[in-house]
Amino acid sequence: NPRPSPVLGELMDLIRTEGQRMTAAQPSETTVGNMVRRVLKVIREEYGRLHGRSEESDQQESLHKLLTSGGLSEDFRTPYPSLRANVIEAINEMLTELEGTTDNIAMQALEHIHSNEVIMTIGYSRTVEAFLKEAARKRKFQVIVAECAPFCQGHEMAVRLSKENIETTVMSDAAIFAVMSRVNKVIIGTKTILANGALIAVSGTHTLALAAKHHSTPLIVCAPMFKLSPQFPNEEDSFHKFVSPQEVLPFTEGEILAKINVHCPVFDYVPPELITLFISNIGGNAPSYIYRLMSELYHPDDYEL
Amino acid sequence: CLSDLIETFRAQLRDDPDVASAVAAIRALLGFLKQDRGETIQGLRNSLRDAIDTLSRVDSSVAVSSGGELFLRFISLTSLEYSDYSKCKEIMIERGEIFLTKVSLSRNKIAKLCHPFIRDGARILTHAYSRVVLRVLEAAVESKKRFSVYVTESQPDEAGQKMARALRKLNIPVTVILDAAVGYIMEKVDLVLVGAEGVVESGGIINKIGTNQIAVCAKAQNKPFYVVAESFKFVRLFPLNQQDVPDRFKYKADTLKTGQNLTEEHPWIDYTSPSLITLLFTDLGVLTPSAVSDELIKLYL
Repeated sequence: NPRPSPVLGELMDLIRTEGQRMTAAQPSETTVGNMVRRVLKVIREEYGRLHGRSEESDQQESLHKLLTSGGLSEDFRTPYPSLRANVIEAINEMLTELEGTTDNIAMQALEHIHSNEVIMTIGYSRTVEAFLKEAARKRKFQVIVAECAPFCQGHEMAVRLSKENIETTVMSDAAIFAVMSRVNKVIIGTKTILANGALIAVSGTHTLALAAKHHSTPLIVCAPMFKLSPQFPNEEDSFHKFVSPQEVLPFTEGEILAKINVHCPVFDYVPPELITLFISNIGGNAPSYIYRLMSELYHPDDYEL
Repeated sequence: CLSDLIETFRAQLRDDPDVASAVAAIRALLGFLKQDRGETIQGLRNSLRDAIDTLSRVDSSVAVSSGGELFLRFISLTSLEYSDYSKCKEIMIERGEIFLTKVSLSRNKIAKLCHPFIRDGARILTHAYSRVVLRVLEAAVESKKRFSVYVTESQPDEAGQKMARALRKLNIPVTVILDAAVGYIMEKVDLVLVGAEGVVESGGIINKIGTNQIAVCAKAQNKPFYVVAESFKFVRLFPLNQQDVPDRFKYKADTLKTGQNLTEEHPWIDYTSPSLITLLFTDLGVLTPSAVSDELIKLYL
């Protein structure tokens, strides 16, 4: 926002209001809210740095801070002329980081995929596609793609992978459990990562995760850090997005449609116990470590926009 | 002196039945600090240790112990910053007051964080009498949610009945169940919400006897098990099993004084391991059990 604001607090309020409007417009696109929170954190950090606070000092609430702090939390009243340039620079750094996320994740592919492995995935994820393609340059392995009805994005994934000469098989979602015993690893993408390490991913992922757990097959999630959202799954149905049931039961089946209810949910909730590893642009992490990554990316006061 | 300390502590619990025992302990210790005539930090620490021991002999709960440890840590941290004793003491007293003001707000913070997790139409199971849980349920009622509560009777002191009476005053439909009926009722319940007397380093909790059973049943039926606790209840213990919890917490102070054979006594608390807990709601935010040890490390190391 190019408007000159002598008082930083106003700028943050402005950003927050815009963020609220954008998230209200499309609640299922959590990355919008995440980016707003990142920007707010960047602003707080830059201000803190200029205000003379050391890098080490914690901005978060902690028992330690409870005991040692002398007074109330800071307001952002002191103007610093170089603050604007610093914030813009930091935001540009963040943009470069964002542009490089897929490559960063793909670079880690060779550590996780070995020769002659059978990998399973579901639907179409650009991150997983890049990940598998990068590994295919040096290793030979097979991929089984669950088609992910009703949109069948798995078909597109299979076409793209086979163009790179990766041996690909497409199968229906119902066959996931049957085939799982032959699979070495499951690698999936996701829409959102929640604060407790759970996923909001494409419909069908929970089934895949349960089948993997049953066979003790590792489940690896490839997702960039901007998908990490500081929300907890407090109302499991509030994350849902439903689309036209036409995909499940076409309108041509009018007679049946009059007698039944048809739903077409887009997303699935996958609990953290089913996930083995998160691979993101900052490396591999366990689901129980997600809370720590969150405290590095966002400030607690911004969790609620 | 020490008898004044005990009297201040007891008086606080008498005058305000809602105050947490750890907060009462810290307030009493702060009063003790103000009256201390010593000239050195070392002397102060020694007399404070004696004071904390005395308080634990009055009330043997984990919370008093954790409150005392926290206060001692607070003294050490402040003394590291200021070498001049009288200045140090002034700062300690000032910070102590600020700390007490902050912790008095902690229950409200927790209630604000926790009540969105209670859906409209939810059926909640809780255990014994917890003032924090009561506050959370109050906040949920204020946000116009309708829900019903099952409370375990919680023998041997029937604390559950006390909880039920308090909930009825808030017009929440309550059913008191036998402690043995937890396994039976678990399938009807949507979530379990308990308080804690202490939160240990592994992320597990120490709470009224019976909590572990409820956690195991909840895990078996895939029900979320939520714990609400203020941050001053974080304690530097790492029990690996029930035997590791020190005897001085398990039994009431009077029982310990008589020195009789403890194997004949019923323990008052048990330890619930972190693998059974879904989330902890504290005034430091919503934490997964693995985040708790991080908080403790930040404070004590």
